[in-house]
Amino acid sequence: MSQTIAHPEASEVESSHGHHTELSFFRKYIWSQDHKTIAMQYLFTSLFFLLVAGLLAMGVRYQLAFPGVPVPIIGSFLPSWLVTSTGAIQPAGYNALFTMHATAMVFLVVMPFLIGVFGNLLIPLQIGAPDMAFPFFNALSYWLFLLSGIILLGSFFAPTGFPASGWTSYAPLSAHAQYNGTQIGQSCWCVGLFVNGLASIAGAANYITTVINMRAPGMKMFRLPLPIWALLITAFLLLLAVPVLSAAAAMLFCDLNFGTSFFSSSNYGQPLLWQHLFWFFGHPEVYIMILPAMGLVSEIISVNSRKPIFGYKAMVFAMVAIGFLGFIVWGHHMFVSGMNLLLSATFSFSTMVIAVPSAIKTFNWLGTVWGGSIRYTTAMCFALAFVSMFVIGGLSGIYMAATPVDLFIHHTYFIVAHIHYVLFGGSLFGVFGAIYFWFPKMFGRMMNETWGKIHFALAFIFFNCTFFPMHNLGLNGMMRRIADPTQYEHLRSQQPVNIFITLSAFALGLSTIPFLINFFYSMFKGPKAPINPWKSNTLEWTVPSPPPHGNFETTPTVYHGPYEYSVPGMEEDYLPQNQPAPETVRLAAH
Amino acid sequence: MLKQASRTSLAFSAVVALLLVATGVCARAGVRTSDLWWMPEVASKEGVLIDQLTYFIYYLTGGVFVLTQIVLIYFLVKYRSRRGAKATYSHGNNRLELLWTAIPTAIFIGLWGYSNHLWLDVLHAPAPPDSMEVHVLAYQFAFSFQYPGADGKLGQSDVKLIGNDNLFGNDPNDPATKDNFQSSVLELPVNKPVRLRLNSRDVIHAFYVPQFRVYQDMVPGRTIDWVWFTPTKLGSFQLACNQLCGSGHYNMKAQIEVVSQQDFDKWYKEKATAANAPAGNAPAQSK
Repeated sequence: MSQTIAHPEASEVESSHGHHTELSFFRKYIWSQDHKTIAMQYLFTSLFFLLVAGLLAMGVRYQLAFPGVPVPIIGSFLPSWLVTSTGAIQPAGYNALFTMHATAMVFLVVMPFLIGVFGNLLIPLQIGAPDMAFPFFNALSYWLFLLSGIILLGSFFAPTGFPASGWTSYAPLSAHAQYNGTQIGQSCWCVGLFVNGLASIAGAANYITTVINMRAPGMKMFRLPLPIWALLITAFLLLLAVPVLSAAAAMLFCDLNFGTSFFSSSNYGQPLLWQHLFWFFGHPEVYIMILPAMGLVSEIISVNSRKPIFGYKAMVFAMVAIGFLGFIVWGHHMFVSGMNLLLSATFSFSTMVIAVPSAIKTFNWLGTVWGGSIRYTTAMCFALAFVSMFVIGGLSGIYMAATPVDLFIHHTYFIVAHIHYVLFGGSLFGVFGAIYFWFPKMFGRMMNETWGKIHFALAFIFFNCTFFPMHNLGLNGMMRRIADPTQYEHLRSQQPVNIFITLSAFALGLSTIPFLINFFYSMFKGPKAPINPWKSNTLEWTVPSPPPHGNFETTPTVYHGPYEYSVPGMEEDYLPQNQPAPETVRLAAH
Repeated sequence: MLKQASRTSLAFSAVVALLLVATGVCARAGVRTSDLWWMPEVASKEGVLIDQLTYFIYYLTGGVFVLTQIVLIYFLVKYRSRRGAKATYSHGNNRLELLWTAIPTAIFIGLWGYSNHLWLDVLHAPAPPDSMEVHVLAYQFAFSFQYPGADGKLGQSDVKLIGNDNLFGNDPNDPATKDNFQSSVLELPVNKPVRLRLNSRDVIHAFYVPQFRVYQDMVPGRTIDWVWFTPTKLGSFQLACNQLCGSGHYNMKAQIEVVSQQDFDKWYKEKATAANAPAGNAPAQSK
């Protein structure tokens, strides 16, 4: 296949008409039903939420390093539920900061980035379909997601501010305004997550239908690119887990506002019921936030190593196993919750078992890199960092899986380090890598590689400086969710570590600036992207950048799997899925 | 391309250097002089067993961590793209897959066996018969403690009876509750097992003492009575609430004093007589 330069236009915007009829401005950009435009809408919205949630994290870190010190400059402009009259963050305000940081990062940043952006962009393009099965639901899903973000963050303007009972919102603290002091904020949390859940369910049903029914001829299940497998499994997890959260959020809303007592300790309510419902959703949720990143990273690593994925089927089965086992490990969040001790033992077992497929995936990534011809693009750097950081996050999980050790480190900074290694060093690094990788297809222009590398180096270094010492803080017995560690004798000597972490966190926050500049500059001024800049095999790289409305001029036919790189006997080191292998060449798999 | 590979390794060494510098800076500051980067010195008999497991996992995961990262970095340098070099065409190896499925499975199940034995048979075995029972009540935002009094028995209590005039929900019909006395400090004799009866009045709190390696949520509406431990070191410790419980959570703590049996007996006798002198089970809040 020749490297023809597509005649790219300034943005996705101008090219989205293709051979279809001209659409009005409103139908084209606002109420668009084109999966690529919806992916773009998700992208910009999640980027905005990423900045907001990141700023909240800066507030959290500021307070932990300098408790009681007035926030410089902006302190006096902050609302009274957040700061004291001198502009210092108050304990209740601190609770609100970390609650909203986590809620926003999970529901408004990582999920929509992985599922909203790359699910929408890649599913039709990589399976050779013109669009999603239900374009209307797809658009509806985005607008519900945006609405949920507005409801959640809108509570900032309520007199009592953000919800403040943690992103886990354990009852009865969350169920009674007299305990949490934020009736409106907590109600917004319930409604926001309910609406967000509707968006997820609509999206999930759409993804499953699309992948099952709309694959191009020849695109057998075992010829699907790994991002699609990951997104398909994720969609099943969403469909089964999210309704439980929605129901729980509705029940909590009733407890909070209508005097029911599902989760209160009086009137036969059960506080632990909330935890079971929440984590029945919450643990699959963890995999919902990592599986798509695993898929994206697999794709990036294979392309940039110029090698087939090592153990494609093992990768798929490992993800299926994670998806299945993900539903029977939720109790490991509750070893010390007062749950039956024997139940803890069984959940500990399933948790140990679920570590196996994660290990398999890691070994297969190593196997993919082995013997490769690695191109260090920015996307590849982030993907490799994903593997490295995921190893750390995975291994630190084993400590918590061992019930007796959990007695010591439960709810300490050790687990804060763990989740950030998985969600930031894992999922978000995967997202960054994927943005650098698919940006040319989305916008028809290339991002700047040098500035990409600078972003990567800064993010990688300061990520580790921020989160690695948290392991030590946790082992030192520093609790999560305390507004002022200097209140405790055993933590006072740890304060220099907290200050070091905070400075690193600020640097990590600033490292986003080169990315943002690069992103927006390249969108308008970057060099035009060819059809297939990375010499990749999957179908999205066979259509112009950006693809026209309807994606494919004619429905492509698929002849082999997506990872036929460096096939012996071929001139080029890649073989797109829509091209049959030359007669002289025998492919080793499917 | 070579340049880019060395750039990656440069970034990696920068991280290592920075982490080392950070260690140096932080290790110099602070009141605590030992184990600054590690767990606080263990102060309970059971904590020693937990630490053994923690170290076992530490060496296990540490080994896996070092190995996988070395292999990754080695591959990244060795297999960087070079002119004329073509990647190996391989879709995988089933024997390897089997191997790296079976070995982790065996390790993890073995680890579970070790960990679960400790959890069910040791840490949560019935408390030794010579243990002392203490009733702990948590509420927004403090802890209260109740001791059995002269008869050595706490007596029956019921979460439904917990209220302002009956903090611990003592059963008024049980004579054993009559001589119970209260304290705002958790005073414990060294080397004697103590068994906790945990209650909360409002929201979920937690009983967390890192030096004892003990954590347990205290759930309103439930009595949790399976936590016990044996303090082995004299001195003061802090009991911290470690479950977000509202605006005052950050400062919800109580003092723990581990003293010799002799000192404890003296303290206990004083408290017991003081509490019983006026009117049996008065809800006095004295130290």
